[in-house]
Amino acid sequence: MDWNCCWTKEQIEPGECPEIHTGEDEFLVYASRRIIEKCLICYRFREDLRRLAEEEPTSARLVSFLVDGLLNQAQQIAAMAGSLDSRNQEISFLHELAEVLQTTMNLDEVLSVAMTAITAGKGFGMNRAFLLLTDKSQHNLGIGPRNLQEAWQTWEEISHHNYTLTEMASQFFNTKLRTEKAKFNDILTQLGALLTDEEHILYRVLQGHKPLMVDEQVRATVGDNGLSRLLEVDSYLIMPLVCRNRSVGVIVVDNYVTHKTITRQDLESLETFGYTVAFAIERAALYDQLQEKIERLVEANERLLEQQEQIVRMEKLALVGEITSSIAHSIRNPLVTIGGFARSLLRNRADDDPLRDHLQSLVTAAQQLDDVLNEVLTSSDSLYPTRDQWDVNLLVYRVNEDLAERLIQRRIAIRLDLAQNLPVAFIDFRQITFCVKTIIINLLDSLPDGSEVLLSTRQIPAGILLEASAAPVPSEHAVSGLGIMVCRNLLEKQGIPFIISTTDREISFRITVPVERRESDGTLAGY
Amino acid sequence: MARLLVIDDEANIRLLYAQELSDEGYEVTTAGTVSEALQRLDEQTFDLVILDIKLKSESGLDLLQQIVRERHNLPVILCSAFSCYKDDFSAWLADGYVVKSSNSDELKLEIEKVLGKKIHRG
Repeated sequence: MDWNCCWTKEQIEPGECPEIHTGEDEFLVYASRRIIEKCLICYRFREDLRRLAEEEPTSARLVSFLVDGLLNQAQQIAAMAGSLDSRNQEISFLHELAEVLQTTMNLDEVLSVAMTAITAGKGFGMNRAFLLLTDKSQHNLGIGPRNLQEAWQTWEEISHHNYTLTEMASQFFNTKLRTEKAKFNDILTQLGALLTDEEHILYRVLQGHKPLMVDEQVRATVGDNGLSRLLEVDSYLIMPLVCRNRSVGVIVVDNYVTHKTITRQDLESLETFGYTVAFAIERAALYDQLQEKIERLVEANERLLEQQEQIVRMEKLALVGEITSSIAHSIRNPLVTIGGFARSLLRNRADDDPLRDHLQSLVTAAQQLDDVLNEVLTSSDSLYPTRDQWDVNLLVYRVNEDLAERLIQRRIAIRLDLAQNLPVAFIDFRQITFCVKTIIINLLDSLPDGSEVLLSTRQIPAGILLEASAAPVPSEHAVSGLGIMVCRNLLEKQGIPFIISTTDREISFRITVPVERRESDGTLAGY
Repeated sequence: MARLLVIDDEANIRLLYAQELSDEGYEVTTAGTVSEALQRLDEQTFDLVILDIKLKSESGLDLLQQIVRERHNLPVILCSAFSCYKDDFSAWLADGYVVKSSNSDELKLEIEKVLGKKIHRG
């Protein structure tokens, strides 16, 4: 039988097969490849099959089945290859996105990358996106055109420049972030409020941690609280942003201009993308917090250093004061005697007594020395600062150190429970130290050996509460001694609340010291 | 006539104050040590004590605490060469504080003031 198709030939000449085109010369010599890839789709082969069916119907039927099966499989493979290619592109895009997101810790920059990725043609190609954050609503962001004209302008601009995703995100962050926020301010304000409404679909999707494609059917069955009216679209996607089971925010996506359907595949890709974005947002927020904490630590450290220097300075001044006072004392007693008796003698002399001038000289000289002494002592006293900004925890540490030896002797332990990040107190360090020390000494004198005293600090609305407590309840002396009386007097004069309370089980002394207050211009207001 | 007890370890100061205050019309008794002062306090009744803070190796502030504890109604004026003791919180228990001076006018005024107030401790 003469066949129309070349499937019987081992080799053929160029032009012999209508399905073999220029550059496909390998098919001329490889018969098996030619038959499967070219003959099966060739009309000549179909004609040969028809002729075969007339002469050998049984064999032709089998061949026909095999040919159809092969063609079907070839189509499936082609479709799968297309899908694979599409997935490869998506993975490549997500990889690029993850790389870009990893390079920044700035929250606005992260959001710019995310929103550009959603709306760029090289990304998910959606028309508009709104991003709402649960904790940082001031960073809420919208992107996309507000009308068809604006959409055309944008697409035309993009088509003229073959920007990469990174370039587009960078351009958006540097030039469009503020204007886009302002452009969508009305919608963002309303969406932000709806995100906290427990009955609203936005809130439910956020808490449910599952994306929701809202279309006509969903609106009819579940309802969308009028969100489609607000967005002026028939369908849209709500994508929750979740990081470590924490709701970070939501992204609302729609095709406002093209009305293109958001497919199941779009939803799955956006869901994968959402994890990366949520993680990047959380990381940027944590980085911000970390920076704040570092700044506060640095400030606290600087303050601590200043206070340490102040203590050293005070100790030096105290030493100077002690020496000055000691010298003054050695001079003053003889001076009082000389000047005092001179005055006494002068008082009893007659006006014309020749000794009167001499006595007056003595009185004047004694008075001059008195004045000099007073001046020296007053100036050494005034070297001590009075009220200032102090770290109350530092004060507690100082008291604990000062009393360490006595505590060991009595086998009494002081347990410290000091709140961190306390504001600075505005106090007379020496006086408050004296009071706390006196309270502890009183407790030491009243408690049995081996007891424990708890010294704690914590912030309360009225200031910083400094509390010393002990159990068992010590003797009456602990609350009624002279030292406590002096403390009460001293604290009352400064308007500092001092409360002693006893229960069946423990006694506590509470001092509430004021914290500094600053005016809006930064100046210290005091209390 | 108000009776005063002057407690000072310096004999010259005791002599000076005794003379000055007697001239003002007070009945003055003196003591140079804590034990002597306590003895005088046990023997006689006083309207006011004038107390030096440094009594050689003894502390006038300790004596002050003892007087405040045991004799609630007896006012005490601390009279010291040290102005810095005004900062010592124990000194706040006294009814007056005078820095020693060759001019005893301030002391005399303080005595008048304290006796005039007739302070009674609760």
